Amino acid sequence: MKTLKRTPLALIALSLGCGMAVAAAERIFTTPNPAAELKRLFPAAAAFSPLAGEPLHFKAFAADPKANPPAAPIGIAFWTTDLVPQEHGYHGPIHILVGMDMTGVITGAVVTYDSEPYGYFSVEPPKFAAQFKGKSFRDPFRVGADVDAVSRASISIGSAARAIRDSTRIVARQLLPPEAVK
Amino acid sequence: MDAVVESWGDILGPQALDLALLGAFMAFALVGFFRKSVRLKYATLVAAVGYMGFWKSRLVSVVDLFAVADLSLPIFKYSLPTYLLWVFAIGSTILWGRLYCGRICAFGALTQLMDPVVPRKMRVEIPVRIEKHANLIKYGLLVGVLAYFLVTRDVSVYRYVEPFWMFGLFGTTGMWIGLAVLLLATVFVRNLYCRFLCPVGAALGLLSNLTVFRIKRWSECSTCKICEKTCEWGAIRGPKIIASECVRCDDCERLYLDQQKCPHWIILRRKGNMFVSTPAR
Repeated sequence: MKTLKRTPLALIALSLGCGMAVAAAERIFTTPNPAAELKRLFPAAAAFSPLAGEPLHFKAFAADPKANPPAAPIGIAFWTTDLVPQEHGYHGPIHILVGMDMTGVITGAVVTYDSEPYGYFSVEPPKFAAQFKGKSFRDPFRVGADVDAVSRASISIGSAARAIRDSTRIVARQLLPPEAVK
Repeated sequence: MDAVVESWGDILGPQALDLALLGAFMAFALVGFFRKSVRLKYATLVAAVGYMGFWKSRLVSVVDLFAVADLSLPIFKYSLPTYLLWVFAIGSTILWGRLYCGRICAFGALTQLMDPVVPRKMRVEIPVRIEKHANLIKYGLLVGVLAYFLVTRDVSVYRYVEPFWMFGLFGTTGMWIGLAVLLLATVFVRNLYCRFLCPVGAALGLLSNLTVFRIKRWSECSTCKICEKTCEWGAIRGPKIIASECVRCDDCERLYLDQQKCPHWIILRRKGNMFVSTPAR
């Protein structure tokens, strides 16, 4: 009988918890100024623009863009979470900073935050992000084909691969010079 | 450049094998359940450890409860096997009780597979008055771990309240030591984790208050103790079956069906004999 009496209590505690969660769901984990990560994506860059534009992105410049007037950017970096916010892994979005040169080739990717239960052996090891370097936005990004599959973590890997595929394609379409995207 | 257009083939293709195997496994588990077959149950448990455990690491976890709590669910169309498992876990619990715990969960299956291996003498029977309270620990853990998650948003806490990560074979030394202690304790106390500690089991236990098709009891059950003694889950106390502790292992139901052992049938047969034999004389 004791168990039966405590059941409603536990239910109340649970629903309270859920309420709290919904209220707190707005928390954001994106690194606001990923200077170190940007430098890793574009080692040759001398300066980066702040995160701005539509879609949101950083521009990488070989020389200080303010000193010698209009220098063309050498590449673009962006958060997958800004470009494809609807993309979710097993538990929420996987935060990936992607760098792409002006011809649409990925210069690198860095996973900075995820809350995947199996993230520690799927998307977090640097080996995962490293395999995207040198890929083009035109590639298929198919897990098991041109993206390595990780057994027991297919949802996490699939989500990260889609996030990079879809965000690079959006950036290529909207921000690269038209001759690069042809 | 066009936006990505995915066909049904693109979405279903990578998930097809998984969906088919998971569906077949769940169907097999149900066949064993409806036939009340010991052999099929053990076959289910072996498949649960091998396929659901070591191959796929597909267990309902507190992480899934976190996902419900903060509405951070995987995308449906890309996660069909996961949703199928969730629907089965919830649906079967509402229909029959904690069937998921008793047959589908790889860790529960692993500890149940200790039963035919570990000598009976080594098993410690926990006194009912202790067990009653120990049963509540899992509810405390459920509320505690949910609260911890909601405050810290640290998903990785699951590794310290659940041993399910073991099927992924990735763990720190501390985690492996904890697991060894737990498994060693399980040698002496049957299904220790499932009965007293598992937060997912607690959540399904709460849900099992809604169970539709419950185990029937005879009027003789109020005095007979055979099933109560047989139940390895401590789910029978006197005439009552504690739904939240029962995992539908079939042990008591097989006894009900056994006309040589269950007093209900023995009494009926004696009455019947009197009826049949009296007019003949």
